[in-house]
This record gives sequence, C-alpha cells and structure tokens, in this order.
Amino acid sequence: MISGYLEGLGMVLQVGTLLAIAGGTLLGIIMGALPGLTSAMAIALLLPVTFGMPPVMGIGMLLGALCGAGASGSIPAILLNIPGTPSSVATTFDGFPMAQKGEAGRALGLAIVASFFGGVASMVILSLLAPPIAEFALRFGAAEYFSLSIFGLVIIASVAGKSLLKGLIAGLIGFFASTIGTDPITGVGRFTFDQLSLLTGINLLPALIGLFAVSQVLKDAFEYDPRQRLEESTHRIDIARPRFLETLRHWKAVVAGILSGSIVGPIPGAGGSIASLVAYDQTRRFSKSPEKFGTGHAPGIVSVESANNALLGGALIPTLALGIPGEAATAVLLGGLMIQGITPGPLLFDDQSGTVYGIFLAYLAANVFMLLIMCLGIKLFIRVLMVPRKQLLAAILVFCFIGVYGVDGDVFNLYLMLGFGVLGYFLNRYDFGTAPVILGLILGPIAEANLRRGLQAFQGDWTPFFTRPISLTFLVIAVGLLALTLWQNYRGNRRSESNASS
Amino acid sequence: MKKLLSTLTLAAAMVVGGPALADDYPTKSIDMIVPFSAGGGNDTFVRALQPLLEKQLGEDLVIRNIPGGGGAVGMSRAVASKPDGYTLLAASNAMLTLEAMGNVPFTHNDFDFIAKVIEEPYVIAVGGDSQYANLEDLVNAATSGTTIKVGVSGVGSSAHIAAVAMANRTGAEFNIIPYPGGSEAISAAMGGHVDAVVLGGAELRSALQSGRLKALAMSYAERSDSLPDVPTFQEQGYDLTLTVWRGIAAPKGLPADVEKRWVDAIKQIVADGSYEQTAENLGTQVSPLYGDELDAFIDQSAEVMREAAGDLAK
Amino acid sequence: MERDIGKPIFDLLLLIASAAAFAAAMALPDIEIVGDLSPAFFPKLISAMIFLFAIPCLVKDVREWRAAVPAGGSRPANRRGVMQWLWIVGLTVVYILLFEPLGYIPSTAVFAFCCVIGLLIASGVWGELSASQRVKSLGGAAIFAIVLAVAIYYVFTDLFEIPLPD
Repeated sequence: MISGYLEGLGMVLQVGTLLAIAGGTLLGIIMGALPGLTSAMAIALLLPVTFGMPPVMGIGMLLGALCGAGASGSIPAILLNIPGTPSSVATTFDGFPMAQKGEAGRALGLAIVASFFGGVASMVILSLLAPPIAEFALRFGAAEYFSLSIFGLVIIASVAGKSLLKGLIAGLIGFFASTIGTDPITGVGRFTFDQLSLLTGINLLPALIGLFAVSQVLKDAFEYDPRQRLEESTHRIDIARPRFLETLRHWKAVVAGILSGSIVGPIPGAGGSIASLVAYDQTRRFSKSPEKFGTGHAPGIVSVESANNALLGGALIPTLALGIPGEAATAVLLGGLMIQGITPGPLLFDDQSGTVYGIFLAYLAANVFMLLIMCLGIKLFIRVLMVPRKQLLAAILVFCFIGVYGVDGDVFNLYLMLGFGVLGYFLNRYDFGTAPVILGLILGPIAEANLRRGLQAFQGDWTPFFTRPISLTFLVIAVGLLALTLWQNYRGNRRSESNASS
Repeated sequence: MKKLLSTLTLAAAMVVGGPALADDYPTKSIDMIVPFSAGGGNDTFVRALQPLLEKQLGEDLVIRNIPGGGGAVGMSRAVASKPDGYTLLAASNAMLTLEAMGNVPFTHNDFDFIAKVIEEPYVIAVGGDSQYANLEDLVNAATSGTTIKVGVSGVGSSAHIAAVAMANRTGAEFNIIPYPGGSEAISAAMGGHVDAVVLGGAELRSALQSGRLKALAMSYAERSDSLPDVPTFQEQGYDLTLTVWRGIAAPKGLPADVEKRWVDAIKQIVADGSYEQTAENLGTQVSPLYGDELDAFIDQSAEVMREAAGDLAK
Repeated sequence: MERDIGKPIFDLLLLIASAAAFAAAMALPDIEIVGDLSPAFFPKLISAMIFLFAIPCLVKDVREWRAAVPAGGSRPANRRGVMQWLWIVGLTVVYILLFEPLGYIPSTAVFAFCCVIGLLIASGVWGELSASQRVKSLGGAAIFAIVLAVAIYYVFTDLFEIPLPD
C-alpha cells in the first residue's frame, strides 16, 4: 500500500498533472458559484479535454471540478441567499444572516475552511473505508430508502420558519409538487396537462432557483428604497479571510458534517442532497444554544460546509467501489473513468498499481487547490455586495435565467422558476419558509416510490418496513427526533408564554 | 409533391442559412442535442466522439443536454429545428421506445438518420451469488410459481420494454420493478433486493467484470466479443433479438451533401480505429451502419419496439 | 404587530388549492399492480393533509388579524413596494416571452435596462431627477445592460459551452 501511495504520488507530483487539477478546480469554483450551473456540467465540459491525458491527470482534473464546485456553492448562498444546488440550501440558513450583519467575509472564511476539512477527511475515509461503506450502502432496499426519507422529513422541523405547522404545510406542498409527472411505478401521467416538459416531473433546479433566488429578488424589489444609501461600511472586507482557528473551535460541527457526509452521502440517489441538511439538523439539535441557529451562527455554516465537501468523497465511494454513481456529477465522472479504461468496482481497491492511489492523492491535491484559490478570491467575492442594489437585482435574475435555461434549454422551466419564485415569496412572507418545500421535493419521490416499490416487491406486505434492521433503526430515530422536536417546541412555547405574561 | 417540398426546404435553407448549404459545410459550430442529462450512455457516447468529429469536420461540436420527458423534450427540439446540418441529435432506441409508447408527437420518420455508430445488447443479469446459474433455472423458477423480481431502469424505458419482451418470449412471469435509473437497479440487484436486472450491456459492464453480477443471457443474434461467455437468447431457444444502438440523426430534410460529409467523417473515424478502444471501454461495440441499410434497421427496430410496447400495455 | 390581511387570505387560498388538488387526484386512473398503492394514493393523502393543516393556520391568522391594530393612514412605502414588485414580476414574464424569439443579447439587454430604469420610476425617484441626471441614469443603465448581456453571452456560450438562444 505504501509503495502504491508512493507510486501514486509520483503520478500526481508532475507539473502537468498539478496544472490540470488546478485548472479543473478553478473551473469548478467558477461554475459552482454561478447559480444553476452544476459540478456535473463542469465535469461534462472537461470530459473531452481529458481524453488524451494519462488517467491520474484526467481524473484529477475532473475531481478538481467536483471539489471546486462543491465548495463554491457556498458563495452565492452566503452573499445573496441563493443556493445553486440542494446541498447548499442549508448554507443559506446561517450564512446569509451572518452576511446581512455585515460579516459576509467571516461567513465565507468559515465556509472555505470547513469545506477543506470536510474534503480532506472524506478523502481519508474514501481511501481507507470505501469497500465496507459501499457494502453498507448496498443493503439499502426499498424499505430502507423509505425509512431514510421519513427520517429526512423530520428535518423539516429544524428548517421550518416560525411555525412548525406551517413548515409542515410547506414540506407537503413540495411533496405534492413531486408527484407531478410520470408515476414512477405505473407510468401513468399525473397532473402533466399534456406538457412534454412535465413528463419527467418538476425539475429540481428551476424550483430551487425560483424558491430561493427569485423569491429573494422579489423581496428585495419590494423593499427597495433608492433613498436608503447602502452603507458600505456594513460590509467589512478586512474580516474576509480564511478562519482556521474559528472553524476548529467548532470542531463538533465539523465532525458532524464529516460523519453525515461520509455516511449519508454514499447512499445512491438520496444521500447527496440531504447529507448537509442532516448535518445541520443534528448540529442544531444537539447544540447547547439551538435558538442561535438561523441567525448567523458559526456552527451552522461550519457543519453544512464540511458536510458539503465530505459528501463528495462519500458520493465517490459507491462510484469507485461499485461503479454506481449516486447523482449526475459522479455519473459523468464515471463516464470519464470508463473512457480512461478504469473499471470501478471492488477490484479497483485491490489493485496494487499506483493509479487508484494517484486518484486519491489527486483528490487531496484538488482540495488544497480549492483552499488556495478560494482564499485568494475571497476579497473579490465580497465585492459582489458593493454592486448597487437595482443593478444587482437585474444581474441576479439574468444569471437565474442562464442557470435554468442552460441546463436543458427549455423555456417552460423559466415559467416554472418564476412561479416558484412568486410562491416562495409568499411562503417566506407568511412564515411558511421555502426550505421545507425543497426537502419535500427531494424526499417526496424517494418516500413514495420506495414505499410503493417495496409493497410491490413484498407483495403488499407492510411488515418488512418494520422488521428489516436498518429500516427499523431509521424509523425509530425518526420517531424519537419527532417526539424530541414536539417536546422542545412545547417547552419553547411555554417559555415564551411565561415570558410574555411576566 | 415531395420533390417540390424538398426544393422549397432547400430554397428556404438557402435564404435562412446562407452559405450553410454549399460544399464548404460546416462553416460554424454544430449543435449536437443529447436528449438526456450529462453522464448517461447517450451523453458519454457523443462526448467520447466529440474530439474525433471536431478533427474530421474542422468545426466545434457543441453538446447540448436537453433532458426531460425521457428524451422527448430534446427530440422534439431536434424535430423542430432547421435541417441545415447545424442541429443534430444523438439518437438511440429511446426514440423508438417513446414512439412505441405513443407519448410523443413525432415518429422516427421525422428524422433523417445519418449513422448508427455503436451498439450494445440488453443483458439479463442476477446477483453474483444468486441461486440461478443460468437462464433455464430462472425461467423454470418463474414458471413454477416463484415470483421473480426483475429490476429495470425507469418505467416505460427501453430496458423495461426489453424485460417485458423477455418475459413474453420465455413464458416466464416477472414482477418487473422500475427503478429511477440503471445504477439504482444495479445496486438493488447487488444488494439482493431484486432477483435479476435487465439493462444495457454498457451499464452492467463494471458490475459484470467485478463478478458482483452474473449475466444469464443477452439479446444479440450472435455472441459478442465484449461478452464472449454470455449465451444469447437465440441459442437458448428463445426467439428474441434486440439491440441498444446509438447514432446520429438530423431533422428530416437534411441536404444530401451534408449527410455525405457526416457519413464520410464517421467512416473515417471508424477506419482509423481511434474510437474502437473507447467504445470497448464503455462496454459497447462499434458497429457502423449508413444509408438504406440503416433506414431498414431503424424501421425494423421500431417494429420490434412497437410489438413489445403493445405487450407492456396489456 | 402589523396588520396584514394577506396572511389569512393566503391560508384560504391554500385551503382552496388543496381541495382542488384533491379533486384532481380523484380523477387519476386507478391501476392495480400487485401490492402497489395506486398512483392517486399519495396525491390524495398529501392534499388532504394540507387541507387539514391549513384550517388551524387560518383560524389562528384570522384571530391575530382581528387582534392587531389597523395601521393608520395610507402607507406610501407599501404601495411603492407593490409597484416595484409587480414591475419585476411583469418584466420577468416579458423577458421569458422574448427570450427565444429575440435572442439572448437583445432580450437580456432590454430586460436589464428596463429593470434598472423601471425600479427608478416605480420608486418615485425618477420624478425628482433633473434632466441631466435622467440622461446620465439612462446612459448608465444602457451601458450596464449592454455590457452585461454581451459579456455573459460570450463567456457562457464560448467558454462554458452553455447554449443560449441566438
């Protein structure tokens, strides 16, 4: 193994390879920072470039794009309250409030360092534990996926706005929206209104950008007051620097992020989008001061961003160990691996040649480049906030259009985006919140399809959902957390009532 | 009438496209619509071909992923675009599947097919330690009362239709369970959550190579070099021949010289052998087909799909 | 507590929408696969739950609305906000409509220009500006709009190979 690493190190430590990795990382950072452009697109764009390259160089470049995009999604989330991917939704919860307090630089500094820690830790886990974790992920059948999604839906309580009931309604709205399209089991069209674009259901990206970006623009438009000069002093550039020590002080949040990213992240099809939300939820729930979350609390950012880059390593586990990509980005990456003649699977890890170790080390290098580039850029990113409000609003909408249209060139999705924007605006205004809608949209199909797939496989028998150990564990945890939430909610209400009366 | 129409189209193309028509095609970058998201079989096939085609044609090939509607959105976009050779489509069986299911407002007759480039078989595979050693075992179990759960990618997908066709031709009754995509179906088979999967050979390649899954049969007429140990349905006595093919198509009315330019380019790439290794790494085979032969092949495949889809509707 | 009639109205709309969704779900075909719940099961369940949960919200919000003191006088800030909000929504619809027919650069430039100038007008600042300031604003917005549209178009189509309408 040592010799494998040395051989791999020899492959990575070449000028060409390092340049390729750095270039991939830079492109990933740029594309990840633009709302709507994804790491999958960055990797697909680079794919043809890598054909002529030796494996470690080519794959390193693709991994760089993956890593860069994973980290830079935090930039629009923090500065503008616009998450470009589902996994950076949770970054907005504390990142944006912190930025509004004028501490955008601090938020970015925390996010960058946490991303780096998450990425490095997940690389270590990937190289040491990939086969057993992959085996664990394989044990997820319909029952387990269903229970996982129920567990995930409990997170709604954490991300709901002022009212738990209204948060629940918002989650249900997302769940309902997810049933639009071709039914995953029978193939019947549901609420498609003969729209080709709706056949495969509501696309997550227009919904995401509408609910967060467009709704935020509408809010800003409503509150826009040209007489109110933006006090530039509120955005302090001098505090914009990487925050190693402060991040380390919140080591518990880092660990929660890494664990969640490495354990939930590898579950194909479900893990990637909820791992960071799980990390946020758990960090908040077991924090001594849960009420500070959502107001610009540092552990909130740290847990989410460390999870965000840890889940990339997590998503690589089934991709490399089983040849099963969990989502779009790793699916494109898998294509890149196969074109290079590298067949993923357990054999890849038994293979003592340096290539696989070279890939691990290239991923490590990508994380280092990500840290360097983001640190260099941090003062630049902040300047976005110096753009006058009305120009910024126009520019954000223009970028939203590119993100949504660029993905699949479908004008219908632009209407969908605007519709979700208007809906999101009112949901925010009347205390429902938009994050639960996204959770419902992501977890809804997993819950529904797996419940029905399971019932089909078990011939209508419900008991396996409760007797299969992993499934039962998730259900028990979900019920426990739900009870805890209701109790905390009840106590919180009591306290605020007694405060009000005293 | 037809001639008049094509003359009109030609004239229109001249007015709109300007120099596009002359023999100096191509003069600007060419859009290639991939009606699926990045990372799918269709996408990887074109992206691997992209640098080679750009070298042959001397212009940029811009790949546009237009997923949605199981390929329907991208394909309708292609149908609606000008047949000037600057908007092409990465075509595959999916088109014929959609047509057979009757969900889309176009048929394969609305396209001019330039070339079929690669193909792969449908494979039925079971877990590596499955009790079913061969197709015979599986079919016997299925016909003697055991419920065989078969995972496929996507309800109404071509794999789904292939699985139905397999069930019909072998007389076995399968409990077909649709997963959102190939990778979910493969992991379900690896984890023992389903008894078997039916998927394209490329998607199954790494799982088969690592021994996590075991192929019982594949749908070519004859054994293939990429899976030499896997018997065909035909040799096991079942009349079933299906292939997954991928190629290039254009909206109907493509000028003959443009088509020739493309056919020449692809022929050259195939002759160079530069694509062969890549195709093999992807678990597919280069099996080029052009012109009339190709049209006959497409018509026949469409017929097979329609039959199988009819079975699905039952 | 600010008195906002929108809150109970939104709850009411939710009730109506969920009832309509339930009705639409009733119309879904009932296909029986062994063991499977029908495709209509979840849409029905979810819309029913939204309906049930929206009732207590409506009751609570109506009560709060009644208890709140009505704000005195007209609220110019609020009216200005509504104008600005409607302007952005309307403009976005127009942008979508023109996006493909007009092509990327013209539609985007027009949108960005109208967005900036429209906000100036809707906010009432426009009327206070002198003629020379107006010319300056118009020129500034025009330059911003054109630079933004052209720069984005070339960066995204050439560098990132993201197709945008011609």
